[in-house]
Amino acid sequence: MTWILIFAMGAIVFLNRYAFLEPRLPLRLSSNARQFLGFAVPGMLTAICGPIIFMPDHQLNLSLLNPYLLGSLVAIALVLLTRSVLLSMLVSMLIFFFLRSWLA
Amino acid sequence: MPHIARQAFLHGAIAIMPLSLAVAPWGLLAGSMAIEANLSAWQGQGLSAIVFAGAAQLVAIGMLKGGANLASILLTTLLLTSQHLLYGLSMRPVLSSQPLRWRLGLGFLLTDEFFALTSQYDQQQFNRWYALGVGLTFYVAWNLFTLAGILLGQNIPHLDQLGLDFSIVATFVALIAPLVRNLSTVVCVAVSLFCSVLFSHWHWETALVAAGLLGMAAGFICQKFAGARP
Repeated sequence: MTWILIFAMGAIVFLNRYAFLEPRLPLRLSSNARQFLGFAVPGMLTAICGPIIFMPDHQLNLSLLNPYLLGSLVAIALVLLTRSVLLSMLVSMLIFFFLRSWLA
Repeated sequence: MPHIARQAFLHGAIAIMPLSLAVAPWGLLAGSMAIEANLSAWQGQGLSAIVFAGAAQLVAIGMLKGGANLASILLTTLLLTSQHLLYGLSMRPVLSSQPLRWRLGLGFLLTDEFFALTSQYDQQQFNRWYALGVGLTFYVAWNLFTLAGILLGQNIPHLDQLGLDFSIVATFVALIAPLVRNLSTVVCVAVSLFCSVLFSHWHWETALVAAGLLGMAAGFICQKFAGARP
């Protein structure tokens, strides 16, 4: 049963990924469609982060002392100042874990 | 592998290295939660090797633990991973002209991180070996960290309460922030952020993709509007 689930999930995810890569699919992207898809990286990645930051443990947390929020602000500041993705990820994670144990 | 291809493959592998390291906590979580939900070590590893989609794996494990049935887990997987349709659509101009085995291979490796690193290239600049380096390195890293999670999860309980999910936020924030250079991107990010929290609060299964699409639409409209009045 679990193996059936794993293979079925694999098939679904793969179909989602592959569907529009198939050239026999009759579809041509207009320049408007391309401009729209140009927003896919900021739009989708932000949507993935939103609930993790503001809904830890599935509870809405809009407090300014939310460690996920503070950690994210640190990451934004660091990447804009240093332009180093790796550095800002590592430092913001350290600060997050510190804040989390300190504010808890 | 010819020399130029090997060079491009290595460039891709190096480019994804920071993101591959940053996915460590998330991979540990995927591995250890599988064990906690009473999956066998092989099944935990199988999820990462076959499904290769972090968010969907974690949600599926949570649902299994809660006793959900096969159909509802599969439907949730379909909805949760539907952003990949968008990534496929966006990469269609460069990938649909590739031979079948490249389409299948790179299609399988098309994750959020893969998309973030390879989507900016047009047909002339796109190098499939570079993309393969990016995707394959990330796949290997994800599976190694899952394995570590499986091994650790058997020894350290409650790995899921450490806030390891912040690693995905730290990674994505570091990828997004440098992109926010004009008003339309600010609008896109703001709308997407607000809607993703609101829809998740309403327990929509499609919260993420709906919020992402609305954010993209808002950014697009803003760009059109600004373009009409220079």
